[in-house]
Amino acid sequence: MAYFKKLKADLAAAASGGIITPEQADKVWQDAYARRPMAGFKAVHFIAAAAGLFIALGFILVAAHNWDKLGAMLKMGVFLLLLAGVAEAALRLDEKPAAAIPLETLWFFMPILGIGLYAQIFNLSGDPVKPYLAWAALSAPLALLSRRPLAASLNSILLFTVLFWGTLNQASLLSLTSGYGRPPQPLWHWAAALAVLAAGAALYPGRKTGLPLGAACVWTFIMLAADTALKTGSGTLLLMAGMSLSVLWLAWGGPADELRTGLPLKIWLGSVYMMTFFWHHTAGARELFHGATWAGAVAAWVLFAGALLTIALRGQRLLPGGKQADMISKLLLAVSVLSSFLLFGADDVQLKVLAALANFILIAYGAACIVGGSENADEKAINRGVLVITLTAITRFVDLFGGLLASGEAFIVTGLAFAALAYFINKGRKALIEAAKK
Amino acid sequence: MTGQQKLRVFLGAQLLFFAAWGAWLMYSRSAASAEFALDTVPVDPRDLASGTYVALNYQISSPEACRPLLEAGAAEAFVELKDSGRRQNTAAGTLPVYQAAGCAAAPGAGVWARAEIYGGFAGRINARYGIERFYVNENDPLKNSAAGSVAARVKLGRGNRLTILGLEKKI
Repeated sequence: MAYFKKLKADLAAAASGGIITPEQADKVWQDAYARRPMAGFKAVHFIAAAAGLFIALGFILVAAHNWDKLGAMLKMGVFLLLLAGVAEAALRLDEKPAAAIPLETLWFFMPILGIGLYAQIFNLSGDPVKPYLAWAALSAPLALLSRRPLAASLNSILLFTVLFWGTLNQASLLSLTSGYGRPPQPLWHWAAALAVLAAGAALYPGRKTGLPLGAACVWTFIMLAADTALKTGSGTLLLMAGMSLSVLWLAWGGPADELRTGLPLKIWLGSVYMMTFFWHHTAGARELFHGATWAGAVAAWVLFAGALLTIALRGQRLLPGGKQADMISKLLLAVSVLSSFLLFGADDVQLKVLAALANFILIAYGAACIVGGSENADEKAINRGVLVITLTAITRFVDLFGGLLASGEAFIVTGLAFAALAYFINKGRKALIEAAKK
Repeated sequence: MTGQQKLRVFLGAQLLFFAAWGAWLMYSRSAASAEFALDTVPVDPRDLASGTYVALNYQISSPEACRPLLEAGAAEAFVELKDSGRRQNTAAGTLPVYQAAGCAAAPGAGVWARAEIYGGFAGRINARYGIERFYVNENDPLKNSAAGSVAARVKLGRGNRLTILGLEKKI
């Protein structure tokens, strides 16, 4: 959605600058917006999709109630007729979204209903992941050939869910975690897991570097933390890898010249915010992990190198403004990644320096947002900067004085202080926005 | 070929898949092999897609003889099942009780069941034969079977895959 806001702003600027006419700007925007993923998918369609799901569940309940009266051939025959009927109806009513969307949803779910039905008839069991992978494979052509992005979105969500569940499950063909007393998982499981990851990203109907890249980063981080062949076995390497992954998603999560405001930015800010709590750690408590693997260490260093190269070579737009803002962005990102080095052989002082650096990054980002927002009439940037600084200040206040909140009076005083803070922040924010507008 | 035509071809492939799979399962079940009983330890979970079932664990679910194969990286093995000499009286008649007697990468003469093998908690070895679930109606008293009160009536299907034919109350 950020892309469309930017496109609209750019077109309005082009129209006001006389490059194109306002009518042309409007038509270009209307055309681009109509072709966005999930275009035309309104509330009524969500309700219609839910209707499809409920119909499917209703069929299951009715069949279950009369189950013992039906023979195996009859059950399979009815299922095949239903599958053919639903799919044919979805194809014939393709032009009518209110009918086609629930039918296509039902068609998407039919293979897993069929697999469940066959499992029940023949008392099948086995690898818990296989039926879901078979479902994804059976529905992949629908996802690829349908002109709506619905089946592709559902299939992609299914594959990513199977990836997370299957790799953390300890008895499936995707299992990557071992656990106490268990032998290591075969290496070919990695090939299967990576194939599922690639298929999930390939089927995703929107930008592959958006949510799929984020899901891949989160999955990689879990694999580095869990008891897998990629286990880092070190809090330091894990922090380095985690910060590198958050920077990689932030940097590659959109076009290089697009101002970052979405989920990747929140994840990166959240990661830096978590680092501020190293203030409370002691040097003895920092290494809680055992069983390091060389592959995990190599992966952490590769991610770290990738993050640094990305920061150096790719444009970074965390802040509104020109080249100076981009340089500040690069500096903040680099500090966030490099500060994890402070955990190597850390003593209590280094841990406090790490926490102070994280606070500095947040305050610097907030201040740069406010300044950049004021200079570029970007109201949202000002609000974002004020929010980051306020949250950091409140957290530190609770950190420092939380222990003194031992009485009702102290709570009242704190509440009044927060109310005054909110009043003055809001007043300052409004003044900045007004000044920016002038 | 238009998108609609491609989707129709895909629908045909889906229907063919389910028809062929159903036919194979029915064919596999019709194998002319002897029926025997396996001792069970049932519990009672359920599954959103398929309904209520009794989860079954067997004496043959932890075949120690497969450990060398598992340690060599194998994911599949053949477990030899032999008559233990015990007889189990059930509502479906008296059946011989089989137990695991060996394990190999390829089946030999006799009853050899195909199994997926994987490591379990604290060094335990697990084998999955595809007979670990028996689906029952919501109101079926078998759903609440106490541990050891039922025996699974099974036979060897095509491709050395075990097939569960029924869950019988021990008499």
